[in-house]
Formats: sequence, C-alpha cells, structure tokens
Amino acid sequence: MDYGISGRVAIVSGGSRGIGRAIATTFAHEGAKVVIASRTLSNLEETLAELEEIAPGRVHGIAASMTDPESVARVVAESRDRFGPISIAISNVIGHVIDAAKEGSGPGAGTFEGMGTEAYREEFTQLLISSWALARACVPDMQQQGWGRICNIGSGVAREPSTNLPHLLPNVVRAPVAGMHRLMAARLASDGITVNNILTGSILTERNRSYWVWLARERNITVAEATQDMTDRIPLGRFGEPSEMAALVAFLCSDRARMVTGQSIPVGGGGSAHL
Amino acid sequence: MDLQLRGRRVSVFGPDEGIVAACRRVLLAEGAVLAESSSGDSYPEADVVIAVGGVRPGSDLLEISDPDELYAAWDDVTNAVDAYRAALPRMLDQKWGRFIWVGSAQAKSVDAEADELAAMASLGMLGLHKVITGEVGSNAITANAVLRGGIATDEDVANAVTFLCSEGAAYLSGITITVDGGAGSGIF
Repeated sequence: MDYGISGRVAIVSGGSRGIGRAIATTFAHEGAKVVIASRTLSNLEETLAELEEIAPGRVHGIAASMTDPESVARVVAESRDRFGPISIAISNVIGHVIDAAKEGSGPGAGTFEGMGTEAYREEFTQLLISSWALARACVPDMQQQGWGRICNIGSGVAREPSTNLPHLLPNVVRAPVAGMHRLMAARLASDGITVNNILTGSILTERNRSYWVWLARERNITVAEATQDMTDRIPLGRFGEPSEMAALVAFLCSDRARMVTGQSIPVGGGGSAHL
Repeated sequence: MDLQLRGRRVSVFGPDEGIVAACRRVLLAEGAVLAESSSGDSYPEADVVIAVGGVRPGSDLLEISDPDELYAAWDDVTNAVDAYRAALPRMLDQKWGRFIWVGSAQAKSVDAEADELAAMASLGMLGLHKVITGEVGSNAITANAVLRGGIATDEDVANAVTFLCSEGAAYLSGITITVDGGAGSGIF
C-alpha cells in the first residue's frame, strides 16, 4: 500500500530509541524526510547511522529537550530549514515512571497518599507541555499545506488508569493529554489536519524490560515470573514489537487515514477493557 | 430522603464563587457544617472535600501561546490534591470520607461546553479519582466528579454534589455525574 507520505517532512520526538525509533524507521522506508530529536546525542548518532542506510540524505537528528517549548520551537525551525515545511509531528516523550523504574525509585512511581504536587507539575511538563508545544509549533506549516498529521504516543492508562501499581503520575496526566488531542482534532479538522493518540499497551521495549527488573525486585519474585505475570494478562498471549506500534502510527499518518481523527486507539494485544 | 449528612464537616473551595456558595447552601441545609480553617488553604478537619475547578469560557488550547496559561489551569488540579491530602489522615482514621471535583463536561464530550483548559484539568482529576479509589476506597472513602455543561445552574451542580456526599452514594467511586441537561452527545 502506498501511504502517500513520500517527500513529507516528519518530526519524531524521542526518536532515537524504542517506539520512536521504530516509527522513524517506518517513515524512512515510506520515503518521508525524517527528523529525530532526543536528549542523548550518543543514542541519536547510532540510530541516525541506521536510518541513513535506509534513506540516504533524508534523515536528520537534533539533540534537544522536547519538553521545553522554546527548545521544541528551535527543533521545528531547524527541521524546516533543512527539509521544508513540517507535515507530520509525532510526540513521543515519556513520563517519569519508567525512568524511575529504571532507577528503582524516583519521582514517578508513587501513591496519592505519598506524592507531593511538585511531581504532578513535572509530569505535566513531561507529557502534556511537550506534546502541546510540538503540535503548536508545527500547525502553521500544516495549515499552509492544507495537510497535516499529529500523533501522540500516549498510554492505555489514559482510559484505564492502572490502580494495581503505584503509577500515580501517568494515571493523572495521560488522560488530559488524550483529551487535549481530541480537542485539537476538533479545531484542526477543517484544515486537513488529523490528530490522533495511541494508547500504548504491552509493547516490548528496553524500558519495559528494565521495568520488569524493578517490578520483580519490588514484589520479591524473579524477572521471569514478573515477565510471565505481565504476559498472562495479554489476550494475544505475547508482547508487541515496537514495529507493530509503528505500523498503526504510519497508517494514521498516511493519506489513506484522512477520515480518522480525534481517536485514542489502543495497541495492546487486546488487553484494554473498555468498549 | 435523609442524606445522613448531619454534622459532617465539609470544605468547599475554588475560584468559581457561585458554585462554591451553592454547594455550601445545599449542604448546610442538610445539616452539614463548614470545616474551613481561618488560614484558608488547608483543611485537615474535613470529612468532605469539594474542589471546584476554574472556568475559562472559550479557552482554546491551540490559541494559547504562553505555557503558563496551561500551568495555571493545572494549578486547579494540584490545589485539589493538596486539599485532598490534607484531609486524608482524618478520613483514614475515621474510615469515612468524600472527595468531589466539580469540572467541565467537555472532559467527556467535545460538544458539551467550550472550555478546553477546564476539560484538561478535569481529565486529570478523573484519573486521580481512579487512583484514590484503588488506594483508599476500602476505608469507605470515595472520590467522584460532577461535570457541568450546557446551561446547568449552580444549584443543579450543588444538588449532584450533595447526593455524592450522601450515604446513598456510598458504593459510587471513581465515577462522574454529568450535569448538562443532555447537551453532550458522547455515550461512553
């Protein structure tokens, strides 16, 4: 299927690893010009080298914070200078929780009783301000072209907060992010711009693996047991690959999906409970 | 119906004075008493905490250029969290409590009302209420929301809030009651 995005300029935040990297790779295969942005230059360089082989001359990397609106605006301006007006914006910034899981402690994992409100603000910056700033910086280009695709990599907890784990912050902030995209979709539909949100479920990433290590320690079980426990909850019986997430994102960003907007769609092997 | 609110200590706060006053009026008529402290920002002696979100009619997330406007709306959430947490020890101790958020019906249906900042803040509170329900619900502490839309009056909203405070609502937690006169068209 021709997705009709050949020559389009796409920005993928958090594009150097995991899901962001898989999305950037798919866009590169589809002929898009791809800019990946991430905080860590070393991750960026490795991923860029790989993308360059798929799409020589059509990839660019920028080391920058994607949570600070001024920095996001600079990334968008640099991308435009390099490749032309932006058509596709993928926001893929993670919150504190998984980082915290990696460290084994930190500001993200916490409870209502124990968590102070400063951490709520940090998570809000991380998840909502980041995607708001990226959309806002890219919308003028999209309006001018009469064509645009905004897609946020969110989380299933937006619709079904996880209450069996101490994941207070994403449970509180993911729903506002999903709602913000729904509201932006209503505003932008008449400009030929679609806005969608992915409810990430059980996708196998490095961060997920490190999370299981933390969970196993937390519950005093082995990593294999923790992994099995998580896998048993997935109706399809396995974790998804980042490329399977990227397949949906690429479709939503294609010309074929021009009537699909304002949606929050789970990618979780049937693990979501809502109708 | 006796709502069994006699003597319950309630704290109602937020930038919307009309709603705050209506909630107080209806609750006091049911025999509840006010728990406000003189300092005004913390209510450790409340059995019922009602946080009323601000309204910014016509707010448009894409029109906003200064992120501080988003943070200001988010302050409604963190102010609610501070008040909730201040009251939590008492509620846990007595094994009874009510947390109620009054927000925007646009959180559930884009056509209910045009106040995107209020919708955003409300969605955060709905997530928080699910967490609270899972974490402390077994102590007969509930957390629910009233979402206003259409041309609901302050009184309409206060009536729903008061019901959620009552004993009749003891088995409701993590839910929302939309008070919008049927304006919103979303089913789920």
